[in-house]
Amino acid sequence: MITMKRYLYDGTADGLFSAISWILAEESEPEKVMLVEREQTLFEEGLFINTDTLQAEALFSRLRSRAPDAAYTIYMFMLATHSGMESSLLHYFALAFTHGDKVNGYLTHQSVRDIVSIAKKVGRELHRMKGLLRFEKLQDGAYLAKMEPDNNIIQPLANHFRTRLAAQHWFLYDVKRRVAARWSNGVLQFGTIEQVTTPALSEDEKKVQALWQTFFKTIAIADRKNPRLQKSNMPMKYWKYLTEKQGE
Amino acid sequence: MDIQAKLQILSGAARYDASCASSGSKREASSSGIGNTSQSGICHSWSDDGRCISLLKILLSNDCRYDCAYCVNRLSHDIPRASFTAREVVDLTLDFYRRNYIEGLFLSSAVMQSPDVTMERMVRVVEALRSEEQFGGYIHLKIIPGCSSELVRKAGLYADRISVNIELPSQVSLQRLAPQKSKAAILEPMKLIGQQINTSLVERSASRKAPRFAPAGQSTQMIIGASPETDLQILRLSQGLYKKMQLKRVYYSAYMPVTNDNRLPVLAAPPLLREHRLYQADWLLRFYGFSAQEILSDDLPNLDETFDPKTAWALRHPEFYPVEINRADYNTLLRVPGIGVTSAKRIIAARRFSAITPEGMKKIGVVMKRAKYFITTSGRRFEQSIRTPERIRQQLLLVESNVVEPPRQLVFPGLYA
Repeated sequence: MITMKRYLYDGTADGLFSAISWILAEESEPEKVMLVEREQTLFEEGLFINTDTLQAEALFSRLRSRAPDAAYTIYMFMLATHSGMESSLLHYFALAFTHGDKVNGYLTHQSVRDIVSIAKKVGRELHRMKGLLRFEKLQDGAYLAKMEPDNNIIQPLANHFRTRLAAQHWFLYDVKRRVAARWSNGVLQFGTIEQVTTPALSEDEKKVQALWQTFFKTIAIADRKNPRLQKSNMPMKYWKYLTEKQGE
Repeated sequence: MDIQAKLQILSGAARYDASCASSGSKREASSSGIGNTSQSGICHSWSDDGRCISLLKILLSNDCRYDCAYCVNRLSHDIPRASFTAREVVDLTLDFYRRNYIEGLFLSSAVMQSPDVTMERMVRVVEALRSEEQFGGYIHLKIIPGCSSELVRKAGLYADRISVNIELPSQVSLQRLAPQKSKAAILEPMKLIGQQINTSLVERSASRKAPRFAPAGQSTQMIIGASPETDLQILRLSQGLYKKMQLKRVYYSAYMPVTNDNRLPVLAAPPLLREHRLYQADWLLRFYGFSAQEILSDDLPNLDETFDPKTAWALRHPEFYPVEINRADYNTLLRVPGIGVTSAKRIIAARRFSAITPEGMKKIGVVMKRAKYFITTSGRRFEQSIRTPERIRQQLLLVESNVVEPPRQLVFPGLYA
C-alpha cells in the first residue's frame, strides 16, 4: 500500500503559505502529497514545516504576478470560515503556477473546484453585503454599520465603501469577530474592539428610517406576497441589522 | 401634505414598473461628492413580493392628464394625487444613499400639464443631483413621449439608463387603449437615444473626456395580454428593438386588471406563465443566438406552455442532436437544453485541460436530467434507449412534474409616461 506523504503546519495563514512554498520548492509532484494542520498529539505522522512570514508573503506576490485572477481567488478563499482543504489549496497553487489564470477554468479537477467554489461563496456574501449593509447616522455626524457575516469580509467590504462614500465619516463593525473598520479624513483603519458602547443616534435618524420603512412596505404589491422568494434572496440571518426588517 | 404621505402615494404608484436594474454603468466616485455605480449592479433589499429593490423607485407626480385604459393613474381614476418638489426627491435620494439603502434613483412621472413641462421638471431633479450634489450613484430616468429632443439629450447626459415605454405591442392596440399616445411619439425618442449612445461611444473612444450618454443604455416595457398580439409578433418587435435600436432590455409585464374598462379583456388570472416564457425566449434572442423566426412560426405563433422555448426547439429538431461535448463550438453547446451560458463557457475552458467525462459534466454544473438526452461525451451516449422526440418528451414531463416552477418575475402594467 502506498501512503501519501504528509506535511504539517501550525494552523495559521502564514504557516499554510510557508508550507506550500516549501513543498512547491522541494517536491516534484505536489499533487501526490498531503498538507494538514498539526494536531496537538504526540505521535502525529508527517513532517512539520516552520512558519516563515517572509516566505509566505513572497509566495503570494509571486503568484500575483504570475496569475492575478488565481491570486484573487485565493484571497477570497482565505476569508472563508472553513477548515481543511489545505491539500486542495496546495494543488491549486501548483496548477496556477503551471497554467496561469487559466487554472480557474479547470473545474473538472477536484482541487480547483474546491477552491473556486469556496471563493465564489465568499464572493457571493461580499456582493450581498454591499447591498444589505445598513448605516445609521450618529449624533456626531458619523455613520455606523453593524453586521454578522458568515465570512471575514470586512476588508474588501470597507474597500468598496471607501470609494463610494468617500466624503463621509463611517465605521463598519463585525459584531461576531469584534473587528471594526474606520474611514475618516481619507484614512482607512482596521482594528479589534473589546468593548462597545452604543452611541446615540442623530436627531433626524429615526425620521429617515421611518421613510425607508414606508417605501419598503409600499413598493411591494400586496396581492403578490411571496415570503419564500423574499427569504431565498435575502436569508433571515441578515435581517437582524436591516432597517426595513426592524420590529417584525 | 407631509413627505411620508407623498412617499406612500408616489412609490405606491411606481411599484408596477418592472425595471429595477442598476447594472451596466461604471461611474467613478468623486472625492468630494457621493456615490459611484457598480458594473454588475447591486440589490439592496427584497420586498415582500420577492422582487429586488435596488433603486428608490418613485413618480415625480401621479397627477395625470392622460386616460390610458390599463393604467392605475389615469385621469378618470379616483385616487389621491401628489407631487414631489425637486428638493424633496434630491434629499430623499441622498438620505437613502448615505445609509446604503439604495443604489440610486428611478424617476418616472405621470404626464402633468404637458410632456415638456413634466420632462423639464424631471430633468431638473437629476441635474441638481449630478451638478449641485455631485451625486455619482445610479440614475434611471423615464422619458415622457412627446417631449422635446433637447430634453431627451439632457436626460441622457445625467442618467445612466433612460427608457421610453412602448406600452403595447402594436399601433392598433395603442390607439384603442392609450389614445393620447402615438407610436411615432414613442419611437422617435428611442431612435434619437440610440443615435446619441452610438455617437457618445465613438467620441469617447477618441477622447476619455467626451461626455457619456446613458452609459447603461436604454430599455423599454410592454404589457402582455391586454391586447390580442401573438407571441411571434411580440418577439419580432423585441428582436427589431435589440437589433435596430440597440436596446439593452425589453421588459414584459403580464396584464393585471387595475380598472374595469370595457376595452380591456376579462382574464381569470394574469398571464404570468406567458410572461415567464416570453422572458425565456427574450434570453434566447439576446444570449443564445436564436432568432424570433426559429423560436416561433406563423403555424406556431405562441410559446409552448409545457416546455421552455429552448427545449421546445430541441424537440422539434432531432436532426441537430446529439451534440458532442468535447468538440462542439460555443453556439452549438448553447442549443443543448440544460446547458446555459455559464456551463457552455465552463465546458470550453475545462476541455482545454482534458476531455470531459460524465462526472465532469456534473462538476461543471450542467443540468444533466435535461441535457442527457441530447449529448455525447467522447462519443458515448448517456441514454441508450430514449432517443425519439416522443420518448424524450414523455421522459422530460415525468421529471418536470416533480419540479417546482422557478420563481417568476412579477411584473405588472402601470405604465406612466
